[in-house]
Amino acid sequence: MEAQLESLRSDAIAAILACSGESELEQLRVRFLGRGGELTALSDRMREVSKEDKPRIGKLLNETRSAVTTTLDERKAALVAVQEAGAFSGIDVTLPGTAFPVGALHPITQLMDRATAIFRRMGFALADGPDIESEWHCFDALNTPADHPARNEQDTFYMPDGRLLRTHTSSIQIRTLERVSPPVRIIAPGAAYRRDEVDATHLAQFNQMEGLYVDEGVTLGDLRGTLEFFFRELFGKDAKFRFRPHFFPFTEPSFEVDIQSAALGTDRWLEIAGCGMVDPAVFDAVNERRGGRVLDPEIHTGFAFGFGLDRLAMIMAGVPDIRLFTDSDQRFLSQF
Amino acid sequence: MKVSLKWLRELVDFPQDAQALATLLTHAGVEVEGIETKGVSIDHVVVAQILESEQHPNADRLSVCKVDDGSGEPRQIVCGAKNFKVGDKVPLAQPGAVMPGDFKIKVGKLRGVESQGMMCSAKELGISADGEGLLILDSNSSVGTPLKSLFPGDTILDLEITPNRADLLSHEGIAREVAALTGRSVKTPHVFVPEVAAADPIEVPAEGCLAYSVRALDGVCVQASPEWLRRRLESLGLRSINNVVDVTNWVMMELGQPLHAFDADKLQGAIRVRYAKEGESILALDGKKYVLTPEDLVIADDRAALAIAGVMGGEESGVDFSTKRVLLESATFDSARVRRTSRRLGLSSDSSYRFERGVDVAGVFRASQRAASLLAEVASAKFSALQIGRATGAVDFGALLQGLTPVKHVPLRLDRVVSILGAPVAEARIDQILTALGLTKDDGGWDVPSFRSDLTREIDLIEEIARVVGIEHFPATTRARFSESSETDRRYDRLMKMRRAAVGQGLFEARSLTLVSEAMAQSPFVRGSVLRVKNPLNEDQVVLRPSLVPGLAAAASRNARAGVKAIRLFEVGRVFFSEGVEERSHLAILLSGPACLPTWRCASAPEVDLFDLKGVLEAVVGRHLQFVPASAESPLGLVVEIRLAGKPIGMAGWFRPSVSREMDLSGNVLAAELSLDGILAEGDAQALYQELPRFPSVTRDIAFVAPKDLPHQRILEVLGEAKESLLGEVSLFDVFVDPKGEKLSMEQKSLAYSLTYRAPDRTLTADEVGVAHERLKQRILSELGVQVRE
Repeated sequence: MEAQLESLRSDAIAAILACSGESELEQLRVRFLGRGGELTALSDRMREVSKEDKPRIGKLLNETRSAVTTTLDERKAALVAVQEAGAFSGIDVTLPGTAFPVGALHPITQLMDRATAIFRRMGFALADGPDIESEWHCFDALNTPADHPARNEQDTFYMPDGRLLRTHTSSIQIRTLERVSPPVRIIAPGAAYRRDEVDATHLAQFNQMEGLYVDEGVTLGDLRGTLEFFFRELFGKDAKFRFRPHFFPFTEPSFEVDIQSAALGTDRWLEIAGCGMVDPAVFDAVNERRGGRVLDPEIHTGFAFGFGLDRLAMIMAGVPDIRLFTDSDQRFLSQF
Repeated sequence: MKVSLKWLRELVDFPQDAQALATLLTHAGVEVEGIETKGVSIDHVVVAQILESEQHPNADRLSVCKVDDGSGEPRQIVCGAKNFKVGDKVPLAQPGAVMPGDFKIKVGKLRGVESQGMMCSAKELGISADGEGLLILDSNSSVGTPLKSLFPGDTILDLEITPNRADLLSHEGIAREVAALTGRSVKTPHVFVPEVAAADPIEVPAEGCLAYSVRALDGVCVQASPEWLRRRLESLGLRSINNVVDVTNWVMMELGQPLHAFDADKLQGAIRVRYAKEGESILALDGKKYVLTPEDLVIADDRAALAIAGVMGGEESGVDFSTKRVLLESATFDSARVRRTSRRLGLSSDSSYRFERGVDVAGVFRASQRAASLLAEVASAKFSALQIGRATGAVDFGALLQGLTPVKHVPLRLDRVVSILGAPVAEARIDQILTALGLTKDDGGWDVPSFRSDLTREIDLIEEIARVVGIEHFPATTRARFSESSETDRRYDRLMKMRRAAVGQGLFEARSLTLVSEAMAQSPFVRGSVLRVKNPLNEDQVVLRPSLVPGLAAAASRNARAGVKAIRLFEVGRVFFSEGVEERSHLAILLSGPACLPTWRCASAPEVDLFDLKGVLEAVVGRHLQFVPASAESPLGLVVEIRLAGKPIGMAGWFRPSVSREMDLSGNVLAAELSLDGILAEGDAQALYQELPRFPSVTRDIAFVAPKDLPHQRILEVLGEAKESLLGEVSLFDVFVDPKGEKLSMEQKSLAYSLTYRAPDRTLTADEVGVAHERLKQRILSELGVQVRE
């Protein structure tokens, strides 16, 4: 019995180690360890072993079974390892990746959304108004003289009923002040129109971002702080500012904001935005329409600002021709 | 507004050079758009006389000249020009001169002949663009004179004057501004002489003309202007005409008052100011005939209009070289009226530009006197009568004639300065600034001189303070406030969500123009009457678009021509209608080409079809949409109505192949457009948790042959009507048609669905599922007349 166990053990291990396939290995497992297997047959003969020999033979039997099982498991693990390794070899990892290709937001939408996100972080809500606007909202209420050149038909698109296509998003200041009482803290991205010949830097239609804050005690310092914070967020910490006095009918004092920043791709000062303190005449015009004195120039002050999204996007991305923005060329749109 | 730095320095003494002055002015709100240097600033260029000229021995095109440059020794110069004769005086660049472009003049040989310098053209000296031949100088200029003194250099600043600052449209006005900014004082061009008007006043209408005067000048000798006058006007871009016209322009550039000179002998009867008659016409100084209306103000004699008031004089009454007696007009016309006339006639001038922005009424007589004294100097004119015309009582002519300037009082509170600007400015500094600007402190406020007509309110004075102090004085403060989100915020967020979903579906965002041509307003999807602008600039921009699809279709063609294979575009934007809601938000999508780009793993991709479009639409809108067949008209071959919760919101369609080909698109073209206003107005519904299935589900398939026209939607309806409580998802996994009719009749299709059964509270037994599945199978069989395939 002992000799039989010994020879079975050596035969089994030799066969297992010589085996090179998983199914062959499984056959060996059945041959030696299976229900009708050789080791099972030997263990059935334990009944014939004398009482004093039983512990020794039994131990030997267990050792043999354990050795065969271990060898089988190890051999199987080795075979699987070799086989799986083969599945990964020879892959050309430099072949191009594949994915469902995504599209892209328009670069102006992307800039608008970035700007909106920054202003929202600063507590501004969004406001809106119609593209087809009354002359009162676009000019009168914004303190623009009746004979101001911007009103003439050479520069502004008019509708047959006397209304016009808004020449700036500043009309949204009026749309908002008409409805809402201070504090008013809004931004308004939107389209504006000017009767311009189309060329590389002009379209008859463009996109602006307007802003307005009216509250008690708003000052020029707040305007400066707000715009400087905003443009530093947009361009980076290196942005430098020059508030150059200017003239707009609806703000006083008024400034043009020149900015110098690496994000603008030049070391020159670039004129980026217009801004100023809301002219009291704007409050007067809105009060007159609303009735009463909701906007009291003695109590309420405010600032307003605006900048062109198209021009800014052109500068920031180095786009040479504004018409690329309205051409919907996917080769262009996929760059952003 | 062009400003001569030299002229400016004559009016105010300031230490800054051109660049520093430009910075100073720009920071004070007077933007300097350009700096240009004029005249000759090169050393070693002198007047030389050509003594003799001979053909160059070795070159046909060159000559060898002997010139006298005053050095005592004649110089030999080789020259290529042909426009001179012996005896002419020309500029000579002597050895040592450095010409523009860092070109040094040396003694050298040209084709073997020595040349001791270079004779110059006007272009080579940077005087003008004239490079044709040598600059032939005045025969009176003396040999050896440096060209620098003959053509003195000047620097011209090009200023952008904002419309509120009419007072800056003159050298004196700029000088006042520079003086205020540098703490200097202005040297007044001349002293005002009080005078008395002549007895016979001029007839002036009640409106349109604030002040009118003509000064009669006799014995006028009209001739070419002296060098200093001509040169200065030319450096400012004005053409020299004759000494009389040049003086009027000089005074306009100096004091900002436009003037006009009439030839008194060409007038018939008394001069007057009146409205034009309907259809009255005038030949203006630009040689063009203008037809006037009773809205236009003219200067006239007994017979006809002589000038369009404030805009341009007439050809027939103008001063020419035969003029002996001059009527010099100095007046203030109403800015709005001048602007309207100028716009309507499409005629603008330096005069109308100034009147449109406002000319100071207090300067009328002063400018007239200034011009008269200059005309005495350059045209030996003698003054006689000053005639004035008065329209209303608003202007105190008596005071003006005495040189008294009207002022207006504007209050200023120091605490108001702080509440607008955010930081205090010392009272002494405010006093200094406003005084320097010509204001006088008086009684809790300031008296503003009439030339600053833009300063009428406290806020205007605060602006002046801020402008001069500079924003650096007012520290940036960060002041925030909580803001409730608005309806616009919510719409914006929903729109951005849709945009991002579209990008996730591989679509590129278009932003097309909203003003389109008539052709681009024709949409296969959107009907409705359109809005047009009254004054289009060209026929490409006439209609406010009623639909987004035409823009995307045009873009698709451009993309195809540029070689883009998979065209996937979307746009969200405003559309416009003349009926109902005027401005609406639409979403449009256009697909063409392969459904996805072929890669090395999948060499061919199927072409897009209606089902790609449907899938993309639902993904973008984020809602389940219904698609209902609708009648198709060209250019579409297939049209479906898009519904949301049963309500029509838009259309989708498949373009006919012939139309696609016309669009330069080789494959399928599909587009959809829908209204977003309803979707954007809805509240954002909070998604509610639904219990996850705790017990396993069982899936059974069912396949059947159905008539080809049986819609999938009908099968879902029949299954739904069965109200089988154990039925969960129904999913279509195969549709088979045999176009050849071999495996299946051409009138039939085979459909295969997978039906999932589950119960929330137990594991289903095979028997339960079998009963339910059999019931549904029977229902489909009996309701739809299909043949179930086992």
